[in-house]
Amino acid sequence: MRINRHLPLAVPICISFFSVLLVGYIFSKPASSDIEIAIPLGLPPLEAHQRPVKRQVELGRKLFFDRRLAFNNTNSCAMCHIETQGLTSNQSATAIGMEGRSLNRNAPALYNVAYEKTLFHDGRETDLAQQAWSPLLSSLEMANPSIGSVVDRIRGLEDYKGLFETAFDERGVSMETIGAALASYQRTLLAGNSRFDQWYYGKKAGALSDDEKHGFEVFAGKGSCATCHTIGEKSALFTDGNFYVTGIGYHTAIGAGSRVSKVQLAPGEFVEIKHEDMETYSAPRLNDIGRFAVTLDPKDRWSYKTPGLRNVELTFPYMHDGSLSTLEDVVEFYDKGGYEHDGDRVLQPLGLTAKEKADLVAFLKSLTTAEDKAKHSPYR
Amino acid sequence: MKKLLRSSVCALAVLAVGPSLTIADETCNSPFTSALIKGQEDFLHVWTLGEVGVGDESDKLVTIDVQPNSPTFGKVINSVSVGGRGEAHHTGFTDDRRFLWAGRLDDNKIFIFDLIDPSKPKVVKTITDFADKTGFVGPHTFYATAGRMMIQALSNGKTHDGQTGIVVYNNAGDLISTHPMPLDNGGDGYGYDIGINPAQNVMLTSSFTGWTNYMMDIGQMVKDPEAMKRFGSTMVMWDFKSMKPITTMQVPGAPLEIRWSLRPEDNWAITATALTSKLWLVKQNEKGEWQAKDVGNIGDPSKVPLPVDISITADGKGLWVNTFLDGTTRYYDLTNVEAPKEVYSKKMGSQVNMVSQSFDGKRVYFTTSLLANWDKKGNDNEQWLKAYDWDGKELVEKFTVDFKAEKLGRAHHMKFSAKPTKAAALGE
Ligand code: HEC
Ligand code: HEC
Repeated sequence: MRINRHLPLAVPICISFFSVLLVGYIFSKPASSDIEIAIPLGLPPLEAHQRPVKRQVELGRKLFFDRRLAFNNTNSCAMCHIETQGLTSNQSATAIGMEGRSLNRNAPALYNVAYEKTLFHDGRETDLAQQAWSPLLSSLEMANPSIGSVVDRIRGLEDYKGLFETAFDERGVSMETIGAALASYQRTLLAGNSRFDQWYYGKKAGALSDDEKHGFEVFAGKGSCATCHTIGEKSALFTDGNFYVTGIGYHTAIGAGSRVSKVQLAPGEFVEIKHEDMETYSAPRLNDIGRFAVTLDPKDRWSYKTPGLRNVELTFPYMHDGSLSTLEDVVEFYDKGGYEHDGDRVLQPLGLTAKEKADLVAFLKSLTTAEDKAKHSPYR
Repeated sequence: MKKLLRSSVCALAVLAVGPSLTIADETCNSPFTSALIKGQEDFLHVWTLGEVGVGDESDKLVTIDVQPNSPTFGKVINSVSVGGRGEAHHTGFTDDRRFLWAGRLDDNKIFIFDLIDPSKPKVVKTITDFADKTGFVGPHTFYATAGRMMIQALSNGKTHDGQTGIVVYNNAGDLISTHPMPLDNGGDGYGYDIGINPAQNVMLTSSFTGWTNYMMDIGQMVKDPEAMKRFGSTMVMWDFKSMKPITTMQVPGAPLEIRWSLRPEDNWAITATALTSKLWLVKQNEKGEWQAKDVGNIGDPSKVPLPVDISITADGKGLWVNTFLDGTTRYYDLTNVEAPKEVYSKKMGSQVNMVSQSFDGKRVYFTTSLLANWDKKGNDNEQWLKAYDWDGKELVEKFTVDFKAEKLGRAHHMKFSAKPTKAAALGE
């Protein structure tokens, strides 16, 4: 247990916003982590800075689910990273934010986000406690007018009285503590102990079927999936944390994509609509050049972070733009060597047989954590 | 609140005086709404969405003088901005017709306007805890029953998907009860409209989609297979008094507005499916079981014209159907309701959503906006109210209010009212 550091009562209350930030900053030196969190089978131990702080988790959860954190009280972190939809949204390819504004990216599932070295599909953020301020302030997402207005709003809410002080050794609501509390909560969102883990790390031979085991061989061998979605000797995050061009971003931005959509009007009933016929009612789509926007290095145009694959069965639709609906589509995509683009290809056609493709999908579905699947309810 | 109660009492007292209180009606109001007006309406209230870059950018209730003898005929005579954009959508009168409830589908605020002076509606109460108290979001249909306001929601505050329910308030704005849409016996949990047939003690509901879809850019949505999987396919017939579902009918493709025939001898309702572009008839079979039957296409369904609002004539023999994407209104002859026949159509503009007619059917009003992010873009985003006379053969334009030129915003739901009599004025 930590010893509470009591701040002198003299800490001024009515100091200007900047001083509050400053105070926040001074006391932000990594709080030692005191949660005895059980690491699920198949995940690496959490390093000190990755660990949730026990007293902050409940507060972080409360913030994460609080719709009042959006400027117009209609959106929370949890409504784009939905607990019953794989900590992403299964309802749309890309996220929908303030007043229905369109983001150009799919909300990433937040499973095992504690281990991520960089955040967002383009890796532009590096610290989970800072990341939260992106959605809080983005005019497309929660659209708060300023940091101060969020801090003041939370300070004014009766049901938050004293909670920050308890969780943060008398430090109250600040930019820093809001981010830290949210981070602590998200660091508890660990997904492991899947049937794959029970087989591979738990050495339970019967945990996977023969087809799934065969799918694993394809994943680690002929499919070379594991070169990027890495599997270690003692644990696996299914991501190397690096950025690659698979062609999807290029395909959308340069417009080699389909000019016709097959549109479902009712279950089993489809029509084809040309995109040119949709122009009068389609808002222009925001362009997305991937990691390039962070590094300005031309080779990073349309490169995106490798996502971890745990619970991937629950986190559809797939890729940074949600453009692939099913795991079958994903495997088909890789089998063709990804999409054509203007740089060097990291993906090559695989020549998988129908059996190999089916087994690879079956293997991907063995990466699901039973508790998370039990919560999943994606169709409405 | 006291004031509101007091004014309700006033309104009731005024009503008791007799039919002199002339608040107009249109054919789609709840049957529990009192004082049906069969003559000339004086005012038209348009619940208008604030639009970025237009005027004060706020949602507002716009009042237009529609009395042909008035010097301000066809002009905007009042506008009440309620602050911010929250996806203003539909409105409904309380049963005493004194108050107009106006909802917003995004931030779930409900504004209660007092129409004691219908030329100057006033907000007397704002309900801000709809989502917190009920768990539902997207208050859509406002449907009066005796002393109550029934509200059909579209979505919920946990996932913003289409699982939702019905909420009942009393006229003072206090929450009475919530009723989830059924998920068993074929129910899909979606909601949209409410239509009650008091004689049969039945309530019919329809089904649309959740917040994520109705707030999203429509062009993006149409291209998104996940989004298009999430529309309702059902209509539910309920026992109105017990609020228990009797049967769930499969009506694929988002059945929206519900209109019961107002003729006492009729016992059917009609609806249109937005995505599959069909008219559906809901009536009982020989065994007395409620059934929904596809009774014909609206336009060319393969072009997805997107039927939206419909308006039934008081005699149940005619139906206006607007198709949004081709900006067309169509009139159907319902003489044989098993086989409605399109007998007239007119291109109204680049887009058209709502249609409201006077009780005698002689005047018909149209507005443009469907949902902020479903409206067309650029120059195709026309925003207007157009008033017509209808002689059974031709729509003759009387006036247009250009909501863009007037810096008002997106014109959506319409309700009529009429000048209060002296008695009513004294009552206040
Ligand atoms: C409007 C929907 C929306 C809301 C609200 C939202 N997010 Fe996100 N979130 C996204 C999208 C989309 C991305 C990916 C954006 C990108 O890559 O540019 C994302 C990315 C993230 C990431 C990075 C994950 C990774 O693996 O790189 C984290 C962490 C995260 N969000 C947490 C939060 C928190 C905490 C909140 C509330 C303060 C929140 N989000 C609110 C949609 C949303
Ligand atoms: C060269 C590195 C690389 C290889 C090899 C690779 N992937 Fe990926 N994978 C990625 C990257 C990068 C993304 C994200 C792309 C994007 O967002 O557009 C991704 C995304 C995915 C996703 C979507 C996850 C989500 O949440 O959206 C799945 C599933 C997936 N890969 C499975 C596989 C399989 C199966 C294979 C082998 C057939 C494979 N990957 C091979 C780098 C790779």
